[in-house]
Amino acid sequence: MTPNARTARMGAGLGRLARQREVSLLALLLLTLFGVGAINPAFLAAGNLRDLLVQSVPAIIAACGLTLVIVLGEIDISIGGMMGLLATVMGQLTSPSHAGWPVLAGVAVTLLLGAGLGCLNGLLVTFGRMPSIIVTLAMLTILQGVNLTLMNGQWITDLPPGLRFFGIGTLAGIPFSLWTAGIVVALSVLLTRETPLGRRIYAAGSAPDAARLAGISVRRLKLFAFTLTGFLTALATVVSVPRLSVIETGIGSGFELLVVTCVVVGGTRISGGQGAILGSVLAALLLGLVRPMLIFLHLGVSATYWEKAIQGGFILAAVLADQTARRPLRRGAESA
Amino acid sequence: MKDFFLETTGVGKSYGSVPALADVNLRLAAGEVHALMGENGAGKSTLIKCLSGAVRPDAGRLTLEGATIAPGDIRAAEAAGIVALHQESSVFPHLNAIDNIFAGRELRRFGGLLDRPRMQRDTQALLDRLGEKINLRQPLETLSFAQRQMVGIARALSYRSRLLILDEPTASLSARETQSLFRIIRHLQSEGIAILYVSHRLEEVFALADRVTVLRDGRFVATRPVAGLRREELVGLMVGRELLEEARPPKSAPPGEIRLEVRGLAQTGRFQDISFTLRAGEIVGLAGLVGAGRSEVAAAVFGVERATAGKVLVDGVPLPPGSVQAAIARGLALAPEDRQRQGLVLPLSVADNLLLTTVGGMGKGGFRSAKREQAMAAEARQKWNIKTASLQAAVQTLSGGNQQKVALGKWLATVPRILLLDEPTRGVDVGAKAEIYRHLRQFARDGMATLVISSDLPELLLLCDRILVMREGRMAGELSRAEATEETILALALPVQPEADAPEENRR
Repeated sequence: MTPNARTARMGAGLGRLARQREVSLLALLLLTLFGVGAINPAFLAAGNLRDLLVQSVPAIIAACGLTLVIVLGEIDISIGGMMGLLATVMGQLTSPSHAGWPVLAGVAVTLLLGAGLGCLNGLLVTFGRMPSIIVTLAMLTILQGVNLTLMNGQWITDLPPGLRFFGIGTLAGIPFSLWTAGIVVALSVLLTRETPLGRRIYAAGSAPDAARLAGISVRRLKLFAFTLTGFLTALATVVSVPRLSVIETGIGSGFELLVVTCVVVGGTRISGGQGAILGSVLAALLLGLVRPMLIFLHLGVSATYWEKAIQGGFILAAVLADQTARRPLRRGAESA
Repeated sequence: MKDFFLETTGVGKSYGSVPALADVNLRLAAGEVHALMGENGAGKSTLIKCLSGAVRPDAGRLTLEGATIAPGDIRAAEAAGIVALHQESSVFPHLNAIDNIFAGRELRRFGGLLDRPRMQRDTQALLDRLGEKINLRQPLETLSFAQRQMVGIARALSYRSRLLILDEPTASLSARETQSLFRIIRHLQSEGIAILYVSHRLEEVFALADRVTVLRDGRFVATRPVAGLRREELVGLMVGRELLEEARPPKSAPPGEIRLEVRGLAQTGRFQDISFTLRAGEIVGLAGLVGAGRSEVAAAVFGVERATAGKVLVDGVPLPPGSVQAAIARGLALAPEDRQRQGLVLPLSVADNLLLTTVGGMGKGGFRSAKREQAMAAEARQKWNIKTASLQAAVQTLSGGNQQKVALGKWLATVPRILLLDEPTRGVDVGAKAEIYRHLRQFARDGMATLVISSDLPELLLLCDRILVMREGRMAGELSRAEATEETILALALPVQPEADAPEENRR
């Protein structure tokens, strides 16, 4: 049994190597936190840390869904448009000056609508046999258009207090949105690692034909992943938008690219088959840190304009890391 | 009826209006190794997909020990114990062995979560049964082809399979790995598992199978016991005509002047000090084990890769290094080893592929001329006898042999005088092979200088006037047609100090 034990240990070592992305992201995250904290201790104040986390909540929640979509070899770039439209619908349903529904009913409809839009994406991709990048690009544009029509130039300013609780309320001293994000991440990790459904998503993303021959319905998995992403985008909307007292037309703009960035920087292969929820979450935290870091370093107002450029740099760094780290590993293992 | 373990009656399948399989009656005895043979496009893959439930036949019945199995249902076939290991796409490269084996039917514990300890134990037991040591936690893409295949076989066994279908299992294996696969097949047979073995390779069928069934053009031709069957007889059944005489080329004309001269060519870490000449009207073989550097030499001569030392002369004039355009302009052509990735653009049409090398050079004033292109493609199709529904059909819909004819045919438009062919008949059926040989002979008579890289020694012996042999990046020797036999080639190709555990073939 000794050789087996040895292989098992070797396997664990390689597994750790494969999860290196998470390790390096965590290291970078801590380095940034304490580096900026050393220059400006206010950065590490409990209140500020909490705000940093809360800021990252929408990206974290949506990235949990999008990671599965990308592992399956597809992509969803409609989530920004979805968030904008869902915010408007949620606001108009619950605001006293519009429909004035009970808050919970409005939230429930918003979540269902999100799942429905995601499902529509999934249906178009699987049964419509269209490439997901085109489907969701079209969907992004359509949803933006519908949103502008619905808003009709009017901001929603009278959000009921019940709705604002989702954005600013706390449970046991911890913001409601953080609870939500924590639960979503925990369930997503459980789903990907410990359930048959999760393993099948990876199998289908790794080799769709082989999956089909193994009796796995790739279509159903994709439908599930798109629907989940729509639902989680709605959830992200519910727990983030009511932090502000106003719902306006700019909500969600650029959100889709931020979330795609999180997933890619988090180590998920854009061609599918590989990726992990925790990587995406860590990347979301790291990318969320960029702007506050620039502010706390007191580099002047213009410094914050660098946020996007730095986030883009992370994408290239992540792809470069893949190129250089994975190749020698594979070659080394093969010639052994 | 009960005598047969598995029986298909009148199985047929059409894709669109094209029948891929018609009225096939296959009968397998319990516990036998049964070979399934036929040229590319004979319907082997379709038949095994019908057996495994991956494809639903239009007609016919499938029975296992007298009980009918629901058609087109992978799960039903698995439940009955029929599992196929398809040639392509049988494993998940990013997943480890455990996840591969249990993909689609994971073991669960309380609450529906994965039962990892039990899956790991079962995986280990299956691999132990195969006598295979594989790291269970490593993604399959980091393992060798042979190891991946073992995981595929373990997956098949995990279904308690009673019929294991293997589709061209040795296509990517070295000789040593093939031998260990054979051992495992015989071991499984001794456990009472029937095996349906699909292969092109006659040697394997004779070494392994009890009986062989031959398909041709989607139809059942014959089932014969292998004992007492002659090679020629089997080939005859496959191609439906006596091919071997036809394939044996006539003596070639005396070689002409030197077309290509390679002097001291080297590429750091790959090969060194390579010198040889190629004369007009000559077919020269380049033999060696996989990894000896043969393909790299061809790539360097053609300018795809830049050599670090040495010279390439065409008709006595040096070729600028690292320039494919210059090589083409001077009359060189290279048909690469991996035709699907390097030799063809699979989604494009037959015509577009045939014209790949010439677009731009054929029109007037920078525009393409549809008329001239059409004429040229039609000529190539006729000349190479390319079997395709239309010139507009995508190349990926063609059989392997016809794909290779397109890959070779596209070079003829550039009127090359020096052909470099890397494994020109890999994955090509016997009939198309013979046609390709005939063409190469004809070119040689017309003055073409040809270099053929091949791992298929009988092919080199049949085709070549001289054979160069490489070993570990160096030129190990040259054999004339009279000197060359499989033994003399191997004697040069094998490492001088035979190392027990480091076969060159594994370096891929």
